Amino acid sequence: MALTRRGFVQAAGIGAAGAFAHGWIGARGRENALWSAVEPTLHAVESGLIVLASNENPLGPGARVLNAVKAAFGDGGRAPGRYSNAGRDLIDAIAKKQGVKPENVVLGCGSTQILRSATHLFTAKDKPLVGTIPTYEECAGYAEMMGHPVRPVALDADFKIDLGKFAEAAKGAGLVFLCNPNNPTATYVGARATREYFARVNRESPDTTILVDEAYFDYVTDPDHDTHIPIAVENPRIVVARTFSKAYGMAGLRLGYAIGHKDTIKKMADWDGGTGTGSLNVLALHAGLAAIQQDASFTADERARNKAVRDFTMNWFAERGMKPTDSQANFMFVHIGRPAKEFREACRKKGIAVARDFPPFEKTHCRLSFGTMEEMKKAVAVFGDVLGKKANAA
Amino acid sequence: MSVSRRGFLRGTVLPLSGTVVAARGMEAYQAEATQERSGRSLVPPGVTEIRISSNENPLGPGKAVLDAILGKFPEAGRYPFNSTPNDGALTAAIASKFKIKSENIVLGGGSQEILKNAVRAFTTPSRGLVTGAPSFENCPGVAKKLGHPIKEIKVDSMFRLDLDPMIDAAKGAGLVFLNNPNNPTATVHGAKVVADFVSRVRRSSPDTVILIDEAYHDYVTDPSYQSAIAMALETPNVFVTRTFSKAYGMAGMRVGYAIGRAETMKPLEKLKMPYNVSVFGVAAAIAALGDGKHIEVERERNTKVRAYTIKALDEFGCKAAESQANFLFVDIGRPAKEFREACAKQGVVVGRDFPPFEKTHVRISIGTMEEMQKAAAVFRSVLRPVPTSTGARIEEGSWR
Repeated sequence: MALTRRGFVQAAGIGAAGAFAHGWIGARGRENALWSAVEPTLHAVESGLIVLASNENPLGPGARVLNAVKAAFGDGGRAPGRYSNAGRDLIDAIAKKQGVKPENVVLGCGSTQILRSATHLFTAKDKPLVGTIPTYEECAGYAEMMGHPVRPVALDADFKIDLGKFAEAAKGAGLVFLCNPNNPTATYVGARATREYFARVNRESPDTTILVDEAYFDYVTDPDHDTHIPIAVENPRIVVARTFSKAYGMAGLRLGYAIGHKDTIKKMADWDGGTGTGSLNVLALHAGLAAIQQDASFTADERARNKAVRDFTMNWFAERGMKPTDSQANFMFVHIGRPAKEFREACRKKGIAVARDFPPFEKTHCRLSFGTMEEMKKAVAVFGDVLGKKANAA
Repeated sequence: MSVSRRGFLRGTVLPLSGTVVAARGMEAYQAEATQERSGRSLVPPGVTEIRISSNENPLGPGKAVLDAILGKFPEAGRYPFNSTPNDGALTAAIASKFKIKSENIVLGGGSQEILKNAVRAFTTPSRGLVTGAPSFENCPGVAKKLGHPIKEIKVDSMFRLDLDPMIDAAKGAGLVFLNNPNNPTATVHGAKVVADFVSRVRRSSPDTVILIDEAYHDYVTDPSYQSAIAMALETPNVFVTRTFSKAYGMAGMRVGYAIGRAETMKPLEKLKMPYNVSVFGVAAAIAALGDGKHIEVERERNTKVRAYTIKALDEFGCKAAESQANFLFVDIGRPAKEFREACAKQGVVVGRDFPPFEKTHVRISIGTMEEMQKAAAVFRSVLRPVPTSTGARIEEGSWR
């Protein structure tokens, strides 16, 4: 299917011949909307607002994926009305892409469903969850709801996961949530050190499962970077979570997956998921198929684009004496020396949305997602204004 | 130390434990058995498929919905809480439709997510599930995986949920699942009967939660029927589920919701998958709620095609239970499997087995008129009475 804007519109016409008969995209206005759909910048929550709050890919999924969604509407637009089993095809495609078997893959409604299933299955009242402080909150939130204990582990001075402390905390735990790169601190621990960590935990606490969340995998530029999928398929105690919400630009579609040993994956699928036909919408399934099957240049290009924006933004802060952590993701965690809330509210008034509080650093640090270069140039002007004013006042 | 950002996650510990397996949607299983992955279809290659197996609206969503989805292409990369409108706006739109508050609503990835979470939230190893037999299998599927007890009460001779024994069974139960109209039998209970059922269960077992699943609400034409939503809002431990998968024609979009009193909704809200409805699903459902005409048209269309299909089946001696939905439960006097496989060879895919009636009854969803005319010809060829030795036809009804 063509990747060009023209191709998109043509595909829309071909894929929805019946739909044209219904007249639902025939109008000139709709045609314009289709053209604008492949323009690279996402709409914001409100006109003019620059959203740097949720670690999304500001370009969205791209024309190829949107073409596939359009084609999935089917004859006369009826497909959204049908239950779908495209999840099976998607599992096959993911397995092929990652070099594993379909039995090693389970789909989720975003990686959220994966994180919840793992927490449900592997923690208990006497089997705590281990996570860093701060990290992505989904697992801890679910464990708390279940009344399962959460064992928090502080990060090191560089805001990186302290693998030594993390291994100590893992002893007797049900599940370790290892978010790498870590959200919200954006730091990364190398593949070799992580593999050593797995071996240590497997040895010292053989019943503990480790959930490696590789949500930001495609944004890492550290040379010691590797996926842990090959280990996970062999080791029932390691599971890797992935999502289409970040580099693939599909946060709105709700699609993620886990890869692991077939026994572990079966447990997760049996508890909540299966081929995902229950919770996953048909358009997401087709979008996922198109996304995973596209050339690797898609993620490579997105990584390069993000790195340029990341370098620009991190330099801007560093030059002004505000130290960001070593970001390996599509967001940064930066010491702004004042409460995130204050900064957030001031930025919001000037049309920039930045992230929520991340205790215990909410009095000093803020998480900023990277938009497009154009957006970040506008954003730093606002940051300069907001941070400068405060500095003057103080 | 709290690492949770969502306040609602704090609170009651829910009775979830053990190695547990949730049932996926049975309608999805059906899709799985017949659809999309090469080599899996029961339908021979080259034969056009008529899919009347999953109680879908054969026309899919209306133009307003398709336009809404297309309009959200630029926001595919945004989380549903960042899209315009966001997922909160869908809750608000539902609240506005029913003139209720957002606290009375929980969104689901299809109503299936809510059914699943209701079993997780309201049943325990000592407080089980009460449901009809046959009825929609989702709840008992989840209860079974949890190891929570299940009482399945056989439908009455008219294939209606048999309410008296369900009331008896409800004593001390955690959850009663009342599917009205009932899938797969298509029968409905009137508003007074449902209200009486609820008050009697409440009297004999006040802690039992009653889930009234109105997935097929929009297809009912019986004037004695009325939604239980108003009652749910007034009555503790009662809630109603609705879905966009049926008359709204959005089964593939996975959007449903529950309505009840705020305190009844709370456990369901806690278990709700965050951001469970996609950006497309949010926009589609909001557009669908604004297009009431589409539902009217779909109900009229379905009523007409339903009447045609009932008559066509009746002509070869097959009686359907009184249908108030977009499907029929038909006495074909032979195993559903046999019938299903014979029909599939000619491209017509009908419903799965529904014990305890799998030896005699089949569920047939209502497709378009054109589809049902074609399907009727296939049914005729499959069900054709065999000539007797004298050449006379076997009398109508002798199949049973």
